[in-house]
Amino acid sequence: MAAMEAEIIRAALADAFPDAAQLEVEDRTGGGDHFQVTLADPGFDGLPLLDQHRRVNDALGPMLRDGSIHELRIRTRVPTKGTS
Amino acid sequence: MKELREQIEEVIEGEPVALFMKGTPQAIMCGNSYRALTALHAAGAPVTTVDILPDPRIREELSALSGWPTIPQVFVKGELIGGADITEELLESGDLQRKLDEALGTDRDQDIRTVALELA
Repeated sequence: MAAMEAEIIRAALADAFPDAAQLEVEDRTGGGDHFQVTLADPGFDGLPLLDQHRRVNDALGPMLRDGSIHELRIRTRVPTKGTS
Repeated sequence: MKELREQIEEVIEGEPVALFMKGTPQAIMCGNSYRALTALHAAGAPVTTVDILPDPRIREELSALSGWPTIPQVFVKGELIGGADITEELLESGDLQRKLDEALGTDRDQDIRTVALELA
């Protein structure tokens, strides 16, 4: 169940960020509602951190609103050339 | 009594640093609220906290105003900074301290206050 929740989040983010160089979703507690998202996307280039997080939140909007994600930690960055 | 939305706006616009959190600094009810408060304190910020737990309408009105879906939410001089992750990242990079210096000056108080909203 918990693994499935993470997979649903990963799929939603993969849809929203098709060019992501790194996309990881970790279920932090194994309970299926506390997640760490790590995302490197070229589209973040030049965007303030606030807007980068906004784009992640927007992609997961319904799950954040209906409470299926209780806690979301987000780490975003612009991919580094050659190390992605 | 003022509408809830108006009260929230007054906190955001009127307080140097506003933290909307789950619980109070004395009784923090969520790890992310703790992280945001700790990061702000480490950056030498005065913090005015608002507990969103007493009524679900607080969170609804806040998110409608800010366009930010999750709690905590940090504002400096009316500007949304972000949640716990962003506040921590900005602390680590030094940008949080710079932003506070610019907005509030380097000779600022570091008091932590709590504001309770009036609920109908």
